[in-house]
Amino acid sequence: MKVEDLQAYIESGILELYVLGDVTPDEKLQVEGMAAKHPAVKAELDEIERSMELYAEAHAVEPSENLRGRILNSLVTNLGDDNTFDELKKPKDNVVPFTAPKQNNFYKYAFAACLALLVASGALLVSLYNRLQDSNQQLAVLQTDKQHFANRVNFVEGQLGVYRDTAYKFMKLKATVHAPMGSVITVAFNPAKKKVMIDMASMNMPVNDNAHQYQLWALVGGKPVDLGVFDKHADSTDMKEMKSIALADAFAVTLEPRGGSINPTMDELMVIGKF
Amino acid sequence: MTKKRKISLTEEELVLALRNREKIAIEALYDMYSSSLYGVISRIIIDTATAEDVLQETFVKIWHSFAGYSTEKGRLFTWMVNIARNLAIDKLRSKDFKNQNKNQELENNVTFIDEQRNTVYKPELLGIKELVGTLKPEQKLIIDLVYFKGYTHVEAADELGIPLGTIKTRLRMAILQLRKHFN
Repeated sequence: MKVEDLQAYIESGILELYVLGDVTPDEKLQVEGMAAKHPAVKAELDEIERSMELYAEAHAVEPSENLRGRILNSLVTNLGDDNTFDELKKPKDNVVPFTAPKQNNFYKYAFAACLALLVASGALLVSLYNRLQDSNQQLAVLQTDKQHFANRVNFVEGQLGVYRDTAYKFMKLKATVHAPMGSVITVAFNPAKKKVMIDMASMNMPVNDNAHQYQLWALVGGKPVDLGVFDKHADSTDMKEMKSIALADAFAVTLEPRGGSINPTMDELMVIGKF
Repeated sequence: MTKKRKISLTEEELVLALRNREKIAIEALYDMYSSSLYGVISRIIIDTATAEDVLQETFVKIWHSFAGYSTEKGRLFTWMVNIARNLAIDKLRSKDFKNQNKNQELENNVTFIDEQRNTVYKPELLGIKELVGTLKPEQKLIIDLVYFKGYTHVEAADELGIPLGTIKTRLRMAILQLRKHFN
């Protein structure tokens, strides 16, 4: 700003109005800005302020003596508690409106839902438990079946082994007069392993009653040797292993009282075969 | 100087003490400025009790809004006299006060106070009366209207039936006159 402009600003009278408190807020800021920027304005302003202060002093009126105490007390009282003078700030409304509680159905429904869910899951649990039991039972049955078949396979393989094994000799014991026509028993004999077996599948004999059993004998040097007893069932299919013996000239089967006899009852000699 | 000794500080000391909220600052503030401020207030509000209330309100407001004052904005008194004048005018215009019907017509009371009460004469200010007397009456009237009565210069122009420019010029001339004297 040029010196002349500054002078014009000073002479415009705005500074006087500022000191007299007769300016708008905008003008106030403007004057304060000018005073801060230009020492000349600041100096002029200070001069005006001083003279108005002195002018006011010249027109001073002494307030009554007791007013001093009153005013000082009112200020000192509030020295430690400045906030009490913010009385224009209205105290906050501390009253909380007591409205009727809103009807909230949420928990009611939530509880009902939980209950329904509980019942449903309980039913599901029972049903699942039953199915689990069923499955376990089936599993047990299958396990048994499997075991049975495994056993059976082992057994059949074992039997098959007998036929494959060239060490076995096979002999057909033919019917005697005591036995029905066509009665026959196949005996497999392995002298090396001292094993004697009867092929129950191919056996053709009358079914014995409960009081009697068939007994197998080996004739060794003309003497009968007990090789054990067996029954004829309609559905007998396996190879039955009998007592072991290393040597045999002939095999014979007699019908004896249940449990077998020490000596063969020659009257009941059913089948016989010789090597 | 028959009155008891009053506390007096330099303006810088006073501002610092006020800022630090010292008790002595309140006393110094009152002793240094109460009569000048009351001079302004009592020219706006004639009723003594009300004027004293306004003086008290003025000090309370100065004390509590002191953070809003900064020395860069000007002299302390200029700031305070604006507070006093505004509070007095607010009071004058308030409904309560109007109902009391104690306010007087402007024309009657511009010199009313000076005639009614003993204003304070200070030795260092001897000659002021004469000076004020040397101010042209129209100059003094404008200064008093704006400074003491809180008129805006626009209102003063209306009141006196003088153009705005003239009012401003007269104000400046009057204050220049004062400055010349006080220097």
